[in-house]
Amino acid sequence: MRWLICILFSCAVFFAGAAGLLVGAVDLSLVRILTDSDAELERMILTEIRFPRVLLAGSAGAALAVAGAALQGLFRNPLAEPSLIGVSSGAALGAISIIVLGPSLAIPAVLEPYALPLAAVAGASLVTMFLYGFSIRYGQFGIVTILLVGIAVNALAAVGIGIFQYLSDDAALRTLTFWMMGSFGRATWETLLPALMLMIAGVVPIFYLVRSLDVLQLGESEAFHLGIDVNRVKRSVIICSAGAVGAGVALAGIVGFIGLVVPHLVRLLLGASHVYVIPASALLGATLTILADLGARVIFAPAELPVSLITSALGAPFFLWLIARSRPR
Amino acid sequence: MKTICPAIIALLVVLPHLGISSCDAPADSSRIAVAGGSITEILYFIGAQDRIVAVDTTSTFPKAARKLPSVGYVRALSTEGLLSLRPTLVIGEDDMGPPEVLKQLDLAGVPVIKIPETHTSDGILQKIRCLAKILRMSRQADALITEKLAQMVAELKQVRSDAASSPVAVVILDAHSGSLMSAGNATSGHGFLEMTGAENMFAGFSGWKPVSSEVILNSNPDFVVFSLLSSESDHPPPISLHGSSTDKRVIAMDATAILGFGPRTIEAALEVARTFHAKDAIAPDYRE
Repeated sequence: MRWLICILFSCAVFFAGAAGLLVGAVDLSLVRILTDSDAELERMILTEIRFPRVLLAGSAGAALAVAGAALQGLFRNPLAEPSLIGVSSGAALGAISIIVLGPSLAIPAVLEPYALPLAAVAGASLVTMFLYGFSIRYGQFGIVTILLVGIAVNALAAVGIGIFQYLSDDAALRTLTFWMMGSFGRATWETLLPALMLMIAGVVPIFYLVRSLDVLQLGESEAFHLGIDVNRVKRSVIICSAGAVGAGVALAGIVGFIGLVVPHLVRLLLGASHVYVIPASALLGATLTILADLGARVIFAPAELPVSLITSALGAPFFLWLIARSRPR
Repeated sequence: MKTICPAIIALLVVLPHLGISSCDAPADSSRIAVAGGSITEILYFIGAQDRIVAVDTTSTFPKAARKLPSVGYVRALSTEGLLSLRPTLVIGEDDMGPPEVLKQLDLAGVPVIKIPETHTSDGILQKIRCLAKILRMSRQADALITEKLAQMVAELKQVRSDAASSPVAVVILDAHSGSLMSAGNATSGHGFLEMTGAENMFAGFSGWKPVSSEVILNSNPDFVVFSLLSSESDHPPPISLHGSSTDKRVIAMDATAILGFGPRTIEAALEVARTFHAKDAIAPDYRE
């Protein structure tokens, strides 16, 4: 049964990807692209615009969902979501510092494509490590506590972002505003590949930690006595999820609620074992994000909606429903 | 030499960005996508509106332009959205973007032209002439400039040179949201004040920065120019220099007219300059 659902999810990614490639503001006909030698423009739209874009949406969605699922496992808290607890804002702060200060930092041209993703990853890691340090020092986080800490961290990141906004000129300011709302439209092959490598480097190790994450649900000392190197698992999850989120944020801006909604949907369908939750979250995260991006491109074509407006509009009510469900009537 | 220097500076400023910046006519300018309100305004001014297939969201004047397909905000354009309208040419202002989209348009073989912006009345005329050259409409445009704008530009110069002193003024944007975003150095607001022959009180910082109303009241400028979005033109200005919103020294202007640097900006500058340099314009300092 579980495997059937996983196969269904894989098909869903495939179909969402195909829809993302074939539907858009410009009408593309696959037959024409393959047979007609005059279809240069259509071919270019497919290979240079839509393909990197769908790949970015899919990989960023998968990365966010996997990071969300892994963080929820690590904090043993179902509301740990990259954008709610401040990891995405940390990544945004790192990225914005490069957008605003980058021109005056004299970064070598070879490293330039990597500067933004790396800064975003650094910001995300910083926040995650802070959250973790805070939770060690002040004990286990309850659901409410982690959200409150998330509010505080988001507020702190907002201060940093605000300072950069104040420093930036008019043009950079307006770029930032739209960047913060998320878009996959900036995906080109050159910018995509470094970020893609980072996301893969972040997501793949988490797949190897699924058993440890399951054992960790029993509690840290229990996990330790069952032979899990708890600290190593924690470190790996923090660094990997920060890497995955940071790389996605660096290219696409903040895309909200994917990391919350997807793991929850998966758990409703497949149960709580990370052996299923992590890979299924990757598949469903990719599917939903590709579809959200498709919506962003098509709803107001030829103009485009910021993609986070769609994911958040769907995710926020889901979040409320989760809260309502967890309360006894 | 005088014309070469600005040209070199313009080149140096524009070269690092994508999109060519020149006034040479491309092979095909029959279907134009426009990113930038002043460019739309100018295309209507020279009578090239039939060639526009798409505009951005800053193209709010003239009203007819709002009915054209919109490709989003000037800095957040969508490649596919643009391409779906099959433009043969994309013309935008300096700040069009994001750069990735311009690059993709370039890959798709659609020429992208950026029109350099200088915040002076000559800059506006240059912009009109440049666009006219791109569209091979120089003759019509020159005639229109002579007929409609030359007189105003001359008058503006006259008002400026007749003025005994230059008043101190501020330009404030986005007053609606509560923060008074004031024009510092190197902004369109600063350029507008220079056109009117006024001195910008906030020339000390660059860019638009929020300034508290206290600071403005305390430094007591001779004039406050509010740039209002057309939707909020019914609202009274949120600040007054005498505690009265009917203060003659608080001038409300349409934001797209004074900050767009299209043909309307010359008219608006003349109107404001006349107010600035009217004989009894500068009131005594109320704190005395």
